[in-house]
Amino acid sequence: MPLQPWMKLLSTDDHLIEPPRLWSDRLPAKFREAGPRIVEQPRGEGQAPAEVWVYEDRVYPYIGLNAVAGKKPEEFGLEPTRYDEMIPGCYDPKARIRDMDLDGVWGALCFPSFPGFSGHVFLDGKDRELALLCVQAWNDFVLDEWCATAPGRLIPLVIMPMWDVEACVAEIHRTAAKGAKAISFPENPSPRGLPSFHTDYWDPMFSAAEETDMPLCLHFGTSGQAPKTAPEAPFAVTIALFGCNAMYATADLLFSPVLHKHPKLKIGLSEGGIGWIPYLLERSDGTWERHRFYQNVNQSVRPSELFHKHFHGCFIDDRFGVEVRHHVGIDKITWECDYPHSDSYWPKSRAYAAEVLADVPDEEVHQIVELNTRRLYNLPA
Amino acid sequence: MSRRPESERSDWTDLDLLTREEAHGRLLAEIAETDVRLSELGESDQAERELLQSRLRALREAAEDLIDHSKKN
Repeated sequence: MPLQPWMKLLSTDDHLIEPPRLWSDRLPAKFREAGPRIVEQPRGEGQAPAEVWVYEDRVYPYIGLNAVAGKKPEEFGLEPTRYDEMIPGCYDPKARIRDMDLDGVWGALCFPSFPGFSGHVFLDGKDRELALLCVQAWNDFVLDEWCATAPGRLIPLVIMPMWDVEACVAEIHRTAAKGAKAISFPENPSPRGLPSFHTDYWDPMFSAAEETDMPLCLHFGTSGQAPKTAPEAPFAVTIALFGCNAMYATADLLFSPVLHKHPKLKIGLSEGGIGWIPYLLERSDGTWERHRFYQNVNQSVRPSELFHKHFHGCFIDDRFGVEVRHHVGIDKITWECDYPHSDSYWPKSRAYAAEVLADVPDEEVHQIVELNTRRLYNLPA
Repeated sequence: MSRRPESERSDWTDLDLLTREEAHGRLLAEIAETDVRLSELGESDQAERELLQSRLRALREAAEDLIDHSKKN
């Protein structure tokens, strides 16, 4: 059995659900009414009211799920919309550790839920002072409460006040000093109305990420654009193509100036699988060989070289990706669990990982499930 | 599985949050599988046996807690 009992599974893509008082416990009194808070909404006769987030004057119908792409508004509310309908491991860090123990998982990097995986909900904020305090409150919750419950097991990832790059720089340094290990960022900021990777807008933030040695984690879907082929196409098309978002993000960055200007920047592709990587690198190198001369792209470094220097990916059940792991690069692969989303294999994630990695040598399995994540995210054993 | 009626389910809805019912169902399935593995093991491997018994206890406790919570609510 290549996955040995002493190897610690570290997941680079899990999620947490914000507890109801996250913001009201942390915001100054004058902002508590406008800051995110849970209110009850009637759900029909015989049903307990739904609990929804209200932020300023906007209602966000899901407390736990922001995976609503493809759902009609009238379908909102059919999934669990009360905390007592969720498993406590979603929002209670002690219960999370218990569920991780049942699952044979040692560590987890958790993305936000209500704020969006990259914290983009706070871009909606009309009051920028409040929005910044909200970002800081989420980060403080993660650092002081969620991860403090089990240091070394719950891995702190932070979000950014993306409307202000200097505020991002300050937040990176503030949270790094408190122990943050990773930064969640949109896989493509442009569709969010933010400057793209092809501008110099984000340079100070990328420099801060380099200085603090924190990877930027690009979770798929954070651009706000799901792959969609036609209005009539079943949502299965979009689901099947989700890995393409990670491909878009990779090609976008490989042909941008970002990685040339920031030689120490680390990019994590969160939840997109790995099997597509060798194809995209071959295609990108071919494009660069033939088409670089007349375009504003770097003329001296091959895209595949940049990828191997800067990127890492993750997988749950990408068997093809595991098979072509040497083309991806063993040191570029991490493992993910995706708890508490229902496509995770909880409570048998470890057994499933053992099955997927059954034909992989022990040493490579150890790199994939534990050592790469320790190295990339600066997690001492 | 999803709390959504069968007619309204898709693969996408099952990418949603693990519900209490779904989590409970998964725990029961794992308890059943672990029980089988334990009975197949016999008395031969004491260390493995203890590991499985300990896992079984933890799984049962977690499943009971989910039920207790549902009853309370």
